Amino acid sequence: MNSTTVLLIVHGLLAVALLGALTHQALSVWAPARKPAVSFVGRFRAVPGAGYANAVVVLYLLAALLGAIIYPEYRISVRTVLQQLELRPAEGAFEVKEHFAAIGLGLLPAYWYYWRLPLAPEHARTRAMLTSILAFIVWFGFLVGHVLNNIRGFGV
Amino acid sequence: MTAPSVIVFAVVYAIAYLICVEGNYALFTYHPAINEFGMGVQKAKDGPAMYWYGWLATSGIVAGIAGALATLLPQGAARHLWPASTWVVALAAMAAFCWLLKGFFLR
Repeated sequence: MNSTTVLLIVHGLLAVALLGALTHQALSVWAPARKPAVSFVGRFRAVPGAGYANAVVVLYLLAALLGAIIYPEYRISVRTVLQQLELRPAEGAFEVKEHFAAIGLGLLPAYWYYWRLPLAPEHARTRAMLTSILAFIVWFGFLVGHVLNNIRGFGV
Repeated sequence: MTAPSVIVFAVVYAIAYLICVEGNYALFTYHPAINEFGMGVQKAKDGPAMYWYGWLATSGIVAGIAGALATLLPQGAARHLWPASTWVVALAAMAAFCWLLKGFFLR
């Protein structure tokens, strides 16, 4: 297994952790549990969202850093294959992913600021939207990355 | 960090990034095939040229300066900064990228 493949796996694992944190947090702000949760979904959304903010920022930065490190290999080994096979939607999906991820980076300071304790009730909508956008970006990036890896991985 | 600085950073960063991509204002270029960096926007040589890192750097610096300057705003002016602009502008930038890249998906 080459180093790029190892980094890609770690990148994917960080994304999974990030997905979990952001999805928990997004559900906790849009559909907070009103009573002690008994079901799986109820417990999933009953988390204290603020407790995830620091972890989300660190995980996002680490996932982005690893993505940036393996990106050149994608440009050389994967994108050229997508172009040769004329898989324009797959190529375009990665372009969208890279720009969404970049925009997510710019949201991190605001996201972190509005999740600071004690939570300001007047900024609940801002917190919810920032969290949802980051969750969407990470879900989109994860799915696109997964599909692209199925089309053409980095090899062994 | 203060509210004005994070609001201004988020708004300026999203706009600056969109402008950087559209106008190709990369602070530097990376040539992955030969593992070489070059200042500014350079043409591809011996393989593709990568501008993404340069776009991030340019927009990060511009937004960082704007965010720092926002801390100097008088309280009266800072109160008028709209926290929702952080996500509204980001969503608009994401929609703009979908529009700009639609050629990949529509034939």
